[in-house]
Amino acid sequence: MSNYFNTLPLREKLNQLGVCDFMDSSEFLDGVNALKGKKLVIVGCGAQGLNQGLNLRDSGLNVAYTLRKEAIEGKRDSWKNATENNFTVGTYEELIPTADVVINLTPDKQHTAVVNAVMPLMKQGATLLYSHGFNIVEEGMQIRKDITVIMVAPKCPGSEVRAEYVRGFGVPTLIAVHPENDPEGKGLAQAKAYCVGTGGHRAGVLKSSFVAEVKSDLMGEQTILCGLLQTGSILSFDKMVEKGIDAGYASKLVQYGVEVITEALKHGGVSGMMDRLSNVAKVKAFEISEELKDIMRPLFQKHQDDIMSGEFSRTMMEDWAAGDKNLLAWRAATGETAFEKTPAGDVKIGEQEYFDNYTLMVAFVRAGVELAFETMVQAGIKPESAYYESLHETPLIANTIARKKLFEMNRVISDTAEYGCYLFDYACKPLLADFMTKVDTDLVGKNFNEGKDGSVDNRTLIAINEVLRSHEVEVVGARLRKAMTAMKSIKTA
Amino acid sequence: MSKPVVHITNLNLKYRNKPVLQDLNWTINANENWLVCGTSGSGKTSLAKAIARIGHSYSNIETSFNPQSSLPALAYYVANWFQFKDLEGQSNFYYQQRYNKQSTETTATVKAELESFGKKHALQFNEVDGILAALGFSELKNSTLIQLSSGEHKKLQLVKALWLKPQLLILDLPYNGLDVLSRKNLNLLLEEISEAGSQLILISNETELPSCINRIATIEEGKLVEISADERSWNDIETFDKQVPTFLSEAVINASSEEIIKMINVNISYGEKQVLKDINWEVKAGEKWVLHGHNGSGKSTLLSLICGDHPQAYANDFHLFGNKRGSGESIWEIKERIGLISPELHWYFDPSATVWQSIVSGFYDSSGLFCDPGYSKKAQTDELIHYFGLDEYKNTLMNELPLGKQRLALLARTIVKNPELLILDEPCQGLDQQQTLHFNKLVDELCKNGTTLIYVGHFESQIPGCIEKRILLENGEVNSVEILHKKPILT
Repeated sequence: MSNYFNTLPLREKLNQLGVCDFMDSSEFLDGVNALKGKKLVIVGCGAQGLNQGLNLRDSGLNVAYTLRKEAIEGKRDSWKNATENNFTVGTYEELIPTADVVINLTPDKQHTAVVNAVMPLMKQGATLLYSHGFNIVEEGMQIRKDITVIMVAPKCPGSEVRAEYVRGFGVPTLIAVHPENDPEGKGLAQAKAYCVGTGGHRAGVLKSSFVAEVKSDLMGEQTILCGLLQTGSILSFDKMVEKGIDAGYASKLVQYGVEVITEALKHGGVSGMMDRLSNVAKVKAFEISEELKDIMRPLFQKHQDDIMSGEFSRTMMEDWAAGDKNLLAWRAATGETAFEKTPAGDVKIGEQEYFDNYTLMVAFVRAGVELAFETMVQAGIKPESAYYESLHETPLIANTIARKKLFEMNRVISDTAEYGCYLFDYACKPLLADFMTKVDTDLVGKNFNEGKDGSVDNRTLIAINEVLRSHEVEVVGARLRKAMTAMKSIKTA
Repeated sequence: MSKPVVHITNLNLKYRNKPVLQDLNWTINANENWLVCGTSGSGKTSLAKAIARIGHSYSNIETSFNPQSSLPALAYYVANWFQFKDLEGQSNFYYQQRYNKQSTETTATVKAELESFGKKHALQFNEVDGILAALGFSELKNSTLIQLSSGEHKKLQLVKALWLKPQLLILDLPYNGLDVLSRKNLNLLLEEISEAGSQLILISNETELPSCINRIATIEEGKLVEISADERSWNDIETFDKQVPTFLSEAVINASSEEIIKMINVNISYGEKQVLKDINWEVKAGEKWVLHGHNGSGKSTLLSLICGDHPQAYANDFHLFGNKRGSGESIWEIKERIGLISPELHWYFDPSATVWQSIVSGFYDSSGLFCDPGYSKKAQTDELIHYFGLDEYKNTLMNELPLGKQRLALLARTIVKNPELLILDEPCQGLDQQQTLHFNKLVDELCKNGTTLIYVGHFESQIPGCIEKRILLENGEVNSVEILHKKPILT
C-alpha cells in the first residue's frame, strides 16, 4: 500500500483538496430513502458506533453490529453496548455477507486489519462507510472495485450525536464519496441518507472529500485543537506557580478557563471571544497574539507540510510498528506534568474572571485558530473545511480538558490526534521560551485590569476590531454558525 | 424569649432583574412550622433560597440556631427540581438517556451517593434505612443516578434532608411526583423530625400536610402575608377563563386504524432487573385512559415505549397506530401524532428557548426550535399563548421563568398541534389547584373531538372528568384494567 494522495497528479490533488460544499437543507428532502430496507452493519460498538446506531434505528433503518469473535465470547463492553440496547450482534462471517452497508467505526490503527478482514466477506456492490479517511488516503488502502466507499463524520463526540438527535436536532457532519470507488454513482445519495438517519442534516452538512477531510483534520488536531491547548495550558500553569500564584487556583483557572473562553468563541467567533475582554485587555491580547502568530507560524507550516507530503503519517506508522513506543512515552510524560498532578483548588472563579485573569489563553486561542485556518487555506484547503477543523472543534476539545485535564483530552481524541498533539507540544514549548520570560501575572493569574485606568486610544481599538472582524475565519464562520445556531451550550462546572 | 430562628427585615429581591420581593418582613420563632403557598411566580422559591443562602447571602436575613441542639445548625433547602452530577462532577445529561444503556457507568449508585452524603455530614448509617423504606426507595440502592426517574430523584433529595435533620428544613414543592403512599409517609417523617427539633418551611399548594404545620403565609405583592387555613385562595383564575381556540375544536384525524396501541406480552428488563412483565394492553382510537401505579411501578417506562423513547421497543411485540414497532417507521413519525408532557420532558427541555419558541417546537416534537414554522403555525401559537395567559412572557427565556409558568408554556406546546394521542404524565406538576382545574377542563374539551388520552396523575383532584378506563400497574405488571363510570378512586 502506498500513500493515495501522493499517487495523484497535482491537478487532481488540488481538485480533491478543493471539494467543499456547505449543503442546502433542500438536498435532504429524500430523507433516509436511499438506505431504507437496506441492511446496515456497524463494525465496532464504542461511543460513536453505539450512538450512531441508536439514531439510525430510530430513523427507521435496519441496524446490526458485528464484532470480533473474542469480543462476543468475552462479553466485552462493545458486546454489552449492542445487546443491552436490543441490537442483533454477530461475527464478521455471520453478518458481513448480508450487509448492504458496512460501517467501519473502529480506531484508525485497526482499519487495515478490519478492512482486510471484512472486504472478502462483503457482497457484490455493497457500500463501505468510514468516519475518517486516514486508511484510504494515508495508508492507501485499495478497496474492491465493485464496492462504493463513502465517509460520514459527525463532528462531535458520540454522546452528543445521540443527545442532539433525541431533542430533535443533530450535530454538524462532514460527508464524502471516494472518487476511486463509486461504481454505481450511488455514494452521495447514501451518504446523505445516512446524515438524515443520524440527524446531522438538521445541523449543517459539509460535502468534502476523503483527501480534504484527512489533510485538514490532521492539521487541526495537531495544532490548535490539541497541541496548542496542551502547550498553552502547561506553560500558563507553570508561569503562575513560578510567580507565586496559589497552585490550586492556577490549576482550576487552567482546567476550566479554556472551556469558558472557547464557549465565547463558539458563539461569536474570534471577535466574540476577544469582545469578552475589557478594551485595555483586548489591545494587549491582540498585540501578544500577533507576536505569538509570528513565533509559531513556521511550526504550523511545518506540520501542514509534513501532513501534505505524507511524512507525518509515515513516521507515525513507524511508531505503530514499534509498538507505540513514542506515543506511550509522551503520554506518560504528560501525566507527570505539574499541571496534571495539581488538583483544582476549592475556589470559586466567576465566568468573567476566567477572561480577565487568563488573558494569555485568549491570546493563545486567537493566534492558534487564525494560524491553523490561514495555514490550511494557503495549502489549498477550502475555508469552510478549515473552519470546521479549527475554530468549530476548539470548544469541544476544551470541554474534555475541563472534565479531567490533558489526560481526558488525550484519552478522548484518537491515537492519531494524540500522537500529533505531543509532536507539536514538544516542538512548540522551546519556541515560546523567550516569549514566556516576558509574561507576568497580569496576563495569567491576576485581573489584567487591576491598577489600570482602562482608557484606550479610539483609533487603535477601531483598527484592532477591524483586523479581527474582517479575518476570513470570521467571515466564513458567521455564515456557517448561522446554520448551527441551535447548538446547545456546554454546561460548565 | 429566645431569639427568633429567622428574622427578615425589609428584604428586596429581584429574580432575573424583575423585583419579586419588596420590603418583605418575616419572623420565624422556635416551634413554628410554616406553610408558604400561593400563585406561581410570587417569589416563594426566591425567598426560600435566600433564607438557605443559596448563591448569595443577605445581610437583612438573620438566622440563629440553637447551640444546645444536637441537630446540624443550618438551613437546608430541597429544591423543587432535582439536579445530579456524574462521577466527573458534570451534569450534561440528555432526555431519556437513562434508557440508552452504555457499558461504562458514569454516575454513582444511590448507595455511594448516600454514603458520601452521610460521611460529609457525619450521619449515622443505620438511620437512613427506615427513611428509604418509608419512601419505597430501598430497592433502588444499587441503581445508578442516571437510571432514576424524576420522581425518584426528588425522593432521594428528600431522603437526604430527612436523614440530615437540619435545624431548619425548607422544602420546595416536596409532593411533586410522589404517589399517595409516599406523600403520606413523607408527612409522617416530617412530623417525626419536627418532633425531634427540626423546624419546617414548606412551600406547597397541597392540602394534605403534616400536622405540625402551625402557621400559613402567602406572598402578595412582594410581601409576606399570614393567613388562616380557610383563607387559602387562588387568584390566578383568569388564566383559562376564555374561549378555547377554534383550531383545537377541530376533530382530530385518526389517520390510522382504530387501534392506537397494542402490546402483546411486552417485557422490559435491565440485566437481572425486570421493569415490565408480560404487559398486554390495547388502546382504541378515542378512548380516555388513566394510568395508575405507585412510584416505581413502571408507568414511565411504559409511556416511554409509546413515545418512541425506549430502545427495547424494538425487541417486543408492540404495535403503534396500527404498525408494528421496528417495521421501518422513524420515531419522528410516531412523535408527530403524539402530544406529550412529562416531568422528564420538562426537566430536559431546552432552557435557552423562549416561551414562543418552546410552544412552536411542539409542531416538530423538538426541544427548542430549529426552523421557520410559517404563518399558520405562528398564528396558532399566538392564539394559544393568549389562551394560556402567557402574552407578557412570549419572548422570555424558559430559564428566566418560575416552574409553574414554564409548565404552562409546555402544556401549550403539548396541545398546539391538536394531536390524535395525548399523553399527559403528571401534567399539572407545579400548577396551583385552580390552574389544574382549568387545564383538566381544557383536556375534557379537547377530548370531545376524538382525541385519545392517556393520563397519569397521583392526585385524585387532578384527574379530568372524561376518563373512562383505567389500567393499574403494580411492580411492572398489569394489576387490573377496568371501565370507570365515575371518577377513579386511588389506591
